Parts: sequence; structure tokens; C-alpha cells
Amino acid sequence: MSVYPTVKTLEEFRQQPEDYQNAVRKIVRSHALNELYGAQVFDEPAIGLAPTPYAKWLTCRVAMEEYHHHVRFKELAEQIGVKPEEMDAKHKRPLNIFEVPLEGWEQFCVIKMLGDLAEILQVEDLLHCSFVPLRNIARTTMPEEKFHAQFGLDFCIDLVETAEGRDRVQRAVNGFFPEAPKFFGASGSKNNEIYRKYGLKLRTNEEMRADYMARAKSTVEPLGITLPQA
Amino acid sequence: MPEAWFSALGEPLGKAEQAEIDAYLAGLGMSAAVHSVATWTEAAGICAQRADAWWQAEEAQRAPLERKAALDPADPEWLALNEELHGAAAVAAARAGCADAALIRVAAGAASYAAYQARLARAARAPADHPFLRKYALYCGGRWPLGVYEGRFAIF
Repeated sequence: MSVYPTVKTLEEFRQQPEDYQNAVRKIVRSHALNELYGAQVFDEPAIGLAPTPYAKWLTCRVAMEEYHHHVRFKELAEQIGVKPEEMDAKHKRPLNIFEVPLEGWEQFCVIKMLGDLAEILQVEDLLHCSFVPLRNIARTTMPEEKFHAQFGLDFCIDLVETAEGRDRVQRAVNGFFPEAPKFFGASGSKNNEIYRKYGLKLRTNEEMRADYMARAKSTVEPLGITLPQA
Repeated sequence: MPEAWFSALGEPLGKAEQAEIDAYLAGLGMSAAVHSVATWTEAAGICAQRADAWWQAEEAQRAPLERKAALDPADPEWLALNEELHGAAAVAAARAGCADAALIRVAAGAASYAAYQARLARAARAPADHPFLRKYALYCGGRWPLGVYEGRFAIF
């Protein structure tokens, strides 16, 4: 990461180069949009799929936290001049990983285990970003993202105890995982170059993708699950 | 603006935080190596030790500020902040499997005191690089700066 001066307040933000401001807006807008869309298409519907009251309670908590992530990012987005329609899936396309329709509990658990792992990597890159309000939101969000990924892993561990459960988890992984690497954006991305120039992100998209592939593999292997070709 | 109370405990320190710590210690006239605390248990052990030199260095900063400004201890915003800090410390501890109510109060109390020091510095129109504002920035970023113990600045 380049050593870019810390930007502590909105007043300081407004004094930064236009490129810096636009880069921050892109990151914050993307999080606001995708946290909302993910909660709408995956987390909230999953409450109805959860098989027990305990699982429903935990899924409610996951959905609540995902909506709260949207609220946090949206508040900051509004303060830095992102237009409301840019955070609305009717006007702006969310990430491709949300295009898979949610059809079952096992699928939701896999999405949490592997999809939220991808989100953890994205948020990790913001933990030391130069724009302090964004850094603070990332830090507040991170423990909850870790809980979501652990939630997915814990339920997958329960599911793979039977051969039938393992088959269902493997099918869900086969359906979800091929799209996951796209979550990290294009190789040689100009946006990412700007993010790193301004100390907003640490790593290239390629580095993050490679890290994700390794961490995803080490997550599923102990479950007897394999990753399909991405 | 959003604050990240107790959200980054045990995470690796960034360069900006290292710089904040260096400036904080320099502002107190102290020099100490930085020790990153990894767990609530380790934090509990450190808190139980004496840190007289660090405490006196901070008190030497506080006294002149209190001669210039006074804060209302019943300010509703201030009372709400204290509740928020205790809640955040409790959530962070619970996430890490720590159920030590006394330690949670120590963490929340340390943050409250840092918040008081920062508000006092602002009320007294202290410069933006005053050590109390530096320390408070670390709390706002999700850390718990424990203090200087045996020549080391411990931060969780």
C-alpha cells in the first residue's frame, strides 16, 4: 500500500483530489448496494429455510447484521455524495454472485461459508485504509462477517456428518464456487490500481483472488468437500 | 462519524496506527517499544500491573487542561457515550469468549476516561496533535491502548 496521508474527516475528504473522492465513493457505494442486495436475496429468505428454531434465530441475526452493514455504508455514502439510486439494485447491477437463486438451506450455508469468506477478504483490505470513516466501518463490520462465515462453516460441519448431507453440500459448492473468483474483479484492474495508489486497499485483485482460492480450499477440505474448477 | 469501538482488538497494527502511537508517546515525553496484546486474558494480566510513570505523564497533561475548561458530567450525550462504550466492550469480549464482567468494565472505563480526556482537550482548545486526541483516535479505531508497562506500550 502506498503511504497516503490519513483522511480523518469529511472536511478533509472534500479537500482530497477528485480521483480520491471518486475511488472512495465507488468502494462505499459497492458495499452499500451489495450488502443490501445480499440480505434481500439470500439472508432474509434463508430464515424461512432454516430447519430449527435455533438455526432460524442465528439466521435472523445474520440477516439483521447484513442489513445493518448496508445501513452503515449507506449513511457514509450519503455523507460523501453518493446518489441514492446508485445504491438501488433497480438502477445499479449488484455483484454476479447474487445471481444464483436461493433454493435450499445447504446452499445458504455454503454461501455463508464461502461467500462471506470472500467478503472477509474485501473488508480485510479496508482495515487500514486511508479514509478513517471507511476504515472504522470496515473494523466494525469485520467481527460480524467472521461470525457469518463461521455460521456457514458450523452448519456445513453438521450437514456433512451424513453421506446424503455431504452430497447436498458438495452440490451447493459446485453451484456456487465457479462464480466466486469473479467477486474480486478483473485482473489488471485500473480501479484497483487507483485504490492502492491512494492507500484505500492493500492488494491487487489477483493477489486477493489467489488468497481466496487458498483459504476456500483449506476451509472445505476438512469437510471432505472439493472445490470445482472456477 | 462512525467509531469502531473495540472492533480491532488483536488485529495487526497498521502504519498509521504506529505513527499515532509514536506521536502519542512523544506528546507525553515517553519512549517505549510497542507491544501488541493478542487476547483478553493477556490484557487482564497487563491491567493488573502498575504503570505509574505513564499515569503521571497523563495526569501532567490533564491538570492544565482542567484549569482551562470544565465538562458537564451529566451531559446526556456523554452519558449515552458511556453506555455505548460498555456495550461495545461487552460485545467484543463475548465474541472472543470472554465473560469477565470486571475486565469488561475496565475496558469500558478506560475508553470512557480517554473520551473524557479528549473532550477536555477539545474544550480547552488544545492543538489537534494533543496526546489525548491521539490516544482517543486509537479507541475510535477499535483499539484498547492499555498504557506503558515496564517500558513497553501495550495495545490490544
